[in-house]
Amino acid sequence: MRDDEQQQSIYRDYRIILFALAIIASLFFIQPWYSSDEGFTSNLNYGLDLQGGSWLQVKLQGAVAQLDADSGLLVREIVNISLGENIEIKSVDERDDGTKVTFTSDSILKNNQMEQLGVGQATISQSNNITEVTLHTSKENLISTYLSDSLKAEVIPVLVSNGVQYEIRTAVSQEELERLMVVVGGSIVTDAIGDAIYKEGVTVETRDLTKEILSDKLNSLGLKDIPVKTVGDDYILIDFAGIDLATAKNIAERPGKFEIRIATQGNESRHVLYGDEIQAVSIVGYNDMDGQWYVPFTLTDAGALALQKAAIETGATQDPLSHNLIMYLDDREVYSAPLSHSAAARLEDVPIYSWQASTGPDEDSKARAEQLQIHLRAGALPVNVELVGSGQVDATLGKQFKEQAVLAGFLALFGVAFVIYRKYNKKAILLPMVGTSVSEVIMILGFAAATGWQLDLASIAGIIAVIGTGIDHLVIITDEVLYEGKLPPKKVYLSRINKAFAIIFAAAATTILAMSPLVFMGFGALKGFAITTIVGVLIGIFIARPAYARVIPEVLETNPMNTE
Amino acid sequence: MEVGLTERLDSFVRKHNNRQLAAIPLAIFVIALLILAFTFASTGAPVKLGMEFKGGTMISVATEESVQSLEERFVDYPINDIRQTGSRVIMQFGPMNDEMQHDLISNAVGSYTSVEINQIGPVYGTSLQKQAVNAVIISFIGMAILIFLIFKTFVPSIAVVVSALSDIIIAAAFMNVVGIELSLGTVAALLMIIGYSVDSDILLNTRVLKRRGTPQENITSAMHTGVTMTTTTLAALIVMYLVSTYSYLLSSSLSQITLLSNISIVLIFGLVADLMNTWMLNTSILRWYVTKNGARRRKA
Repeated sequence: MRDDEQQQSIYRDYRIILFALAIIASLFFIQPWYSSDEGFTSNLNYGLDLQGGSWLQVKLQGAVAQLDADSGLLVREIVNISLGENIEIKSVDERDDGTKVTFTSDSILKNNQMEQLGVGQATISQSNNITEVTLHTSKENLISTYLSDSLKAEVIPVLVSNGVQYEIRTAVSQEELERLMVVVGGSIVTDAIGDAIYKEGVTVETRDLTKEILSDKLNSLGLKDIPVKTVGDDYILIDFAGIDLATAKNIAERPGKFEIRIATQGNESRHVLYGDEIQAVSIVGYNDMDGQWYVPFTLTDAGALALQKAAIETGATQDPLSHNLIMYLDDREVYSAPLSHSAAARLEDVPIYSWQASTGPDEDSKARAEQLQIHLRAGALPVNVELVGSGQVDATLGKQFKEQAVLAGFLALFGVAFVIYRKYNKKAILLPMVGTSVSEVIMILGFAAATGWQLDLASIAGIIAVIGTGIDHLVIITDEVLYEGKLPPKKVYLSRINKAFAIIFAAAATTILAMSPLVFMGFGALKGFAITTIVGVLIGIFIARPAYARVIPEVLETNPMNTE
Repeated sequence: MEVGLTERLDSFVRKHNNRQLAAIPLAIFVIALLILAFTFASTGAPVKLGMEFKGGTMISVATEESVQSLEERFVDYPINDIRQTGSRVIMQFGPMNDEMQHDLISNAVGSYTSVEINQIGPVYGTSLQKQAVNAVIISFIGMAILIFLIFKTFVPSIAVVVSALSDIIIAAAFMNVVGIELSLGTVAALLMIIGYSVDSDILLNTRVLKRRGTPQENITSAMHTGVTMTTTTLAALIVMYLVSTYSYLLSSSLSQITLLSNISIVLIFGLVADLMNTWMLNTSILRWYVTKNGARRRKA
């Protein structure tokens, strides 16, 4: 086999073929081109710090915890917070299919007050100036409502494998939450080892919803291609290419304009309410009764009254089908449907707080409901966000950075070549060494172009670092081969190469290991550095350096060495 | 040049016994530790934390205005530092509220060209500190485990790990001495030192433990290869440092690239420390080890 190899032409060796293919593929992906009009062009993407632009980094505030509490105390607190009434709990009946809480009050409580609580169906009876109320509800509903009222934020119960998890969409510390739960005779549930099941942050679904809303909002402003990325569980990163930071902040902070109008006659319509009258938007659901997908949302007092007034005045309560409710986001129609007959009839008497916007029965309708849910929020995010970082590099500066970084790369290569030349004193070795190093850079760039990776300053620093390690490894190969000052016989050569590669693999493994935490650290700010280093090292050990090891004996055979 | 360095180093290693050889790097290691301890005692962190870890705003603009006039102009904001490099000025501000932040940014973007801004919230900065510490620790432990897996013998492995530790400690102490703050870039550089520094140690250990010949011969041959490796890397980094830091002296149209400058200078110092630690500290430990176990050495 070794004999075969000896006779085999270097051009048919698999290492050389692989190397050549990698270079060709890289060039194909990079597509470098020079024209006198456009200068140097290529398929490479550059990061904001090289092409100019600004970025915002926000943290989503919230907490996710499993909670337990006493249903009676919960009802008492909820009524107290919402209606300012003191009540006496008579009985609590907890079953699998729901909780029944009966209480009495000295004041007169009405049905719509109970509905305003938003905790379930109420049966009310009056006798001797005492109101007795029976609430049909569930503990999840009570806990979410209690926390939502106390913290003035949305609280969403989510079923998980080991119970119910509450997502609180505002910043609340574990201590603060524990304090709130003590008031209602409860606590944060602990796991098997006794640790409280509490996590700062939001669920992945909420994070993704927030991201969608931001994307939707930014892209509806006519600014195309503003990438909104999620980083980790709780962070969102927005890149504004070619926009300065002051403008970017204005855009991100400006809420969308959401409006509900009601059709009057023909194409005419009148204003009902704006988005600030929408108190909460819940998650998309499926109604078994009419087989439709829907988005539930709640109106404020003023909003509910405005809608009732408009419905009565336009005659929608009498003839709902000719008076559609139409929703606009930034003057774009996003939804239009008539009032349901039952809603129309009820509006005659009382304002309605809780609404469902139905979209239809099929999968498409589900998607439309999800879209509508985003629109209803009108750019208002489901969770509170905190700006944790921002930055800008303007286009001229970015261009300058790019040119200077490329210059640094080239000069670094010359510096390395100079040291190599001084050490080996031989052009014949310089050429394959520097050539291998250059080709490693080409392959890294090819990888970047093929994967759409954005090259930023950190990536270029990484490439320069790879030039450094790459040459190191070539020096190891060369010196191992030239151990006795001359090219050894084939058999010895192969064992030497194996030894050299053992060292190289070990060194490469440590570099990759050392760099990997950077991929995740700090919003991935230095992900570019880590990725180029890791990819560069992998390309080096699997493609470029094996080819070098194959070429170098040929080179040395035709150009015998005489080192010290 | 580097041949001269290698030969001088080689004869130094030959002339001194293991204890003498280890004394110099160990002394420097201890001094470096003292510097870090002193900084820790006076600031609460072993290295001076930069804006990214404390929170604040950095604004760099192209301007011919003097530092004084800029100080007056931004007197209403919590300005910490103004530095002029060529035709650019870098201003550092402490944390401020959203409204002030907004104002400052509009002001800078509106009145200057070639603006670079970097703002980090204090809370995020604190979490970044934790991440950075974790990253360095995870990297280091990962490297140590890998080294033990590769060599499977205690003394040679611990020699590599101690050398790498010393490289990082010395590089960090050096940052304190010359006043380089810890930034994301310098953390990356410290991690890279972990990766770089073990290269020459692995080479040395492999050559000495697995090659035929006397330990001293193998050390010499490893040194020829290893010093070349480090000097080529140093050459690349020195060029990167010069271009990113001082090119504005040649032409006012060029500017400092802080990230590249920070990464390269910390790496340069880490590598210089590595030259010493590999060829004195690691070498002395290894030479002592193979002499003691001479009879049981494996053959190539």
